[in-house]
Amino acid sequence: MQNRIRNFSIIAHIDHGKSTLADRLLQETGALAEREMREQFLDKMDLEREKGITIKLQPVRLEYIARDGETYILNLIDTPGHVDFSYEVSRSLAACEGALLVVDASQGIEAQTLANVYMAMDLNLEIIGVINKIDLPGAEPEIVKQEMENVLGIDRDEIIPISAKLGIGVEDVLEAIVARIPPPRGDENAELKALIFDSYFDAYKGAISYIRVDSGKLKKGDIIRMMSTGKEFELTEIGVLNPFMNQVESLKAGEVGYLAAAMKNVADTKVGDTITNAGRPAPRALEGYKEVKPVVFCGLYPLENSEFEKLRDALEKLKLNDASLLYEPESSDALGFGFRCGFLGLLHMEIVRERLEREYDLTLLATAPSVIYRILLTDGSEVFVQNPSHWPDAQRIEMVMEPFVKASIMVPNDYIGAVMELCQEKRGSFVNMEYLTPQRVMISYNLPLAEILFDFFDGLKSRTKGYASLDYEIKGYEASDLIKLDILLNGEPVDALSSIVHKEKSYQRGRALVEKLRKIIPRQMYEVAIQASIGNRVIARESVKAMRKDVLAKCYGGDITRKKKLLEKQKEGKKRMKQIGRIEIPRDAFMSVMDIESDK
Amino acid sequence: MLERYIHCLLKEIKLRSTQWKDYQFSTIYLGGGTPSLLEPFQIEQILKAIFHNYVLTTDTEISMEANPATVNLESLRGFREAGINRISLGVQSFQDNELKILGRIHRVSEIKDTLGALAKSGIKNINLDLIYGIPGQTWKDWLFNLRMAVKYHPQHISAYLLQLDPSVPLARRIISGEIPAENEDLQYAMYYSTIDYLSGQGYQHYEISNFALTGYECHHNLIYWQAHEYLGLGVGAVSYQNGQRIINKANLHDYLTRLESDGICDTKILETMNEREKMLDALILGLRMTTGIKPSELEVRFGIDFIQEYYAIIKKLEQDGLLIIEPDRIRISRRGYFLSNQVFSRFI
Repeated sequence: MQNRIRNFSIIAHIDHGKSTLADRLLQETGALAEREMREQFLDKMDLEREKGITIKLQPVRLEYIARDGETYILNLIDTPGHVDFSYEVSRSLAACEGALLVVDASQGIEAQTLANVYMAMDLNLEIIGVINKIDLPGAEPEIVKQEMENVLGIDRDEIIPISAKLGIGVEDVLEAIVARIPPPRGDENAELKALIFDSYFDAYKGAISYIRVDSGKLKKGDIIRMMSTGKEFELTEIGVLNPFMNQVESLKAGEVGYLAAAMKNVADTKVGDTITNAGRPAPRALEGYKEVKPVVFCGLYPLENSEFEKLRDALEKLKLNDASLLYEPESSDALGFGFRCGFLGLLHMEIVRERLEREYDLTLLATAPSVIYRILLTDGSEVFVQNPSHWPDAQRIEMVMEPFVKASIMVPNDYIGAVMELCQEKRGSFVNMEYLTPQRVMISYNLPLAEILFDFFDGLKSRTKGYASLDYEIKGYEASDLIKLDILLNGEPVDALSSIVHKEKSYQRGRALVEKLRKIIPRQMYEVAIQASIGNRVIARESVKAMRKDVLAKCYGGDITRKKKLLEKQKEGKKRMKQIGRIEIPRDAFMSVMDIESDK
Repeated sequence: MLERYIHCLLKEIKLRSTQWKDYQFSTIYLGGGTPSLLEPFQIEQILKAIFHNYVLTTDTEISMEANPATVNLESLRGFREAGINRISLGVQSFQDNELKILGRIHRVSEIKDTLGALAKSGIKNINLDLIYGIPGQTWKDWLFNLRMAVKYHPQHISAYLLQLDPSVPLARRIISGEIPAENEDLQYAMYYSTIDYLSGQGYQHYEISNFALTGYECHHNLIYWQAHEYLGLGVGAVSYQNGQRIINKANLHDYLTRLESDGICDTKILETMNEREKMLDALILGLRMTTGIKPSELEVRFGIDFIQEYYAIIKKLEQDGLLIIEPDRIRISRRGYFLSNQVFSRFI
């Protein structure tokens, strides 16, 4: 039985057609009836379908009758393709013996893909190269094959050209999975070791864990033990996803499935933990995942202060699905009580915020994101600051350091100049440049993480007409000349609007910020003065004039109902504002601290 | 088509009278569209049907909306004989370039002819509609229009701020940047100058956008603002009765065929209100009038102690200088008129 299991993953850049290929595999193996099919089937969240990206993987079990006449069980563990989620990719990969590398026939390999393939190679996974979208007019499969061979050492003759959209070559992919990916090895008679590679919270069943059984087996009623905490639970349900939840009697070494064990506490199923049998425990746990550390932080506050507890509850539940999310309570003079949250990147941050709002019916206000600064104080001590409002007084600071990354940018050689110019503007220092093919280069720069986080990617896309791709890894801290920029409204500092900026850019940024705030703060009943200051020095000032008009000129019999609706809408709009003192501020204002440059 | 419509309207007038037989009507208003396009005999048919089927007061105010150049001395006299005793004329502006921007087909010369005919028509109660905030209009342009209007001694002037639905062509030209966007500060100046100028000329400012010589307030519109009941007849007309606002078929074809083939006038409920909602309606409509509202009256009508229940909001609005609180009377301040939505939305 184990001989006919194949566990594989798909590695691809965003838009290279991973979800479409997954859809085809589902169809080709008959996992879904025609009527059940919808696009991006494995992208469970609405958010994913809307954004056309994969955020959260969902495993699926396919039964495939191969050309050799045998029926194989193929466990597909989909992966996200964005740099923020490389952590999730590593989780999926660890549960597999092989991976499909999907590359767009007109785009070629992207920086991100490269990083993920290296990760798979490190784990000794069998890599099957696939070139997708060969049906499109701009497709150049031969050049892309050459690139895959040069850069990754994949034999060009083994690369499979396909069109997932049209279903061309999909069967070849399935055959290659069967023929080339090794079956899992693992003794089903040994002690149970099962890796939790994902989990989520179900309102009825409690915490659900997605697992890959490494050795041994489990069945309903077993008492399992979490090896990191020693906590024990009785298995209430085990099953596979094909693609809907389907209960089974047992799961054996090599198999992939889910389990429920009435775990109510969200901390009970830690992703990366090993599950064993309490009656016959394994001596050693599987190697867990590398703990990922959030690199970007922001404050999340409920717009209504009364929703603080609801937000805490929602974060707790979300954390179950998302081990990388960190949060701790904090308070702000302007915003009241909320949480300082840590994320893998800006997309991650945006997704968490949107999920909290949609899935937990919250209205949130996010402050501008920040990295973690390391500050040496004059008294010789050292502090880490990830909230600008905790920035020490200037006279106490000896030195400020900020995280730097090594960024790798892959781009057609026509855009080398544009990329280098952007990196210089963002305080980068050149590391090296390498030709991957005569047409494509990889440029490396050291850059402050803060610059990458804010609008670097947008800038990169617009200056290279979307051809550039970016990957980065954190290198460590370097000294920078950074200061805190404060914003005052009617003379009162608003802590949630403070930001950390490079000294040389501080004036320009202060001016841009007050200008931006003047545009987004609506006229109020009274004039609002907006100032930017460094220390006690005001460096820029604007004002929002008092509102003078808010009237319905006509209101007669026929349209009273409609006019009332207008008023109600206006009232709703007000509810989405944050009241600070007597000033109502749109909740997006707090994020504007970061957007000012991309608006220009 | 016009004849078909009138035929159906007459049918409706008869049909719906059963539901309104216990009411005495004090005003009739022919408006929406351009009723002045009808012949006097057609207006007479309509009014006769109403007189015949409904109970009216002896001094019923019977208004008709008219656009310049759609009427002349003869037709106006005909309307008067049919029973019309008040005309509301859609002048909008006394400058051709402004009329053009507004998409009006009439010209200033035609306005003047129409006003001349009105003076001779024997109709003694005239309203002129004017619009300010027209793209390109200066403060001086607007005052010129006001002075022109006053020269004709109308009993009533409605001065409306131009407010465009984003879907209309003029709004689209503004959004696209072809025409400059509105200037809030200029509109503010125009509005308060209007109040000052017309008050100086003897016109009482009695509602946000309305001015009248003493005794010539539009009784019909006062009924809306006092949140009393009314019956609307004709395609798309809205009625208010027993706390329900209902609307007739808004599609002309549907309206006609239902009445012609089935003899039924279909209506749809727009909203059904409880006592509190009715009170809030009375409040936000009542506060449009410069006399404001009487809390004791609200309590009698709706059984809600308004002052007590909304005390905090009222106090806050008073502090903000938007409301004026007097013994058994609450009204919007001068500053508050042009910010009145800020007041209303606090109560919703």
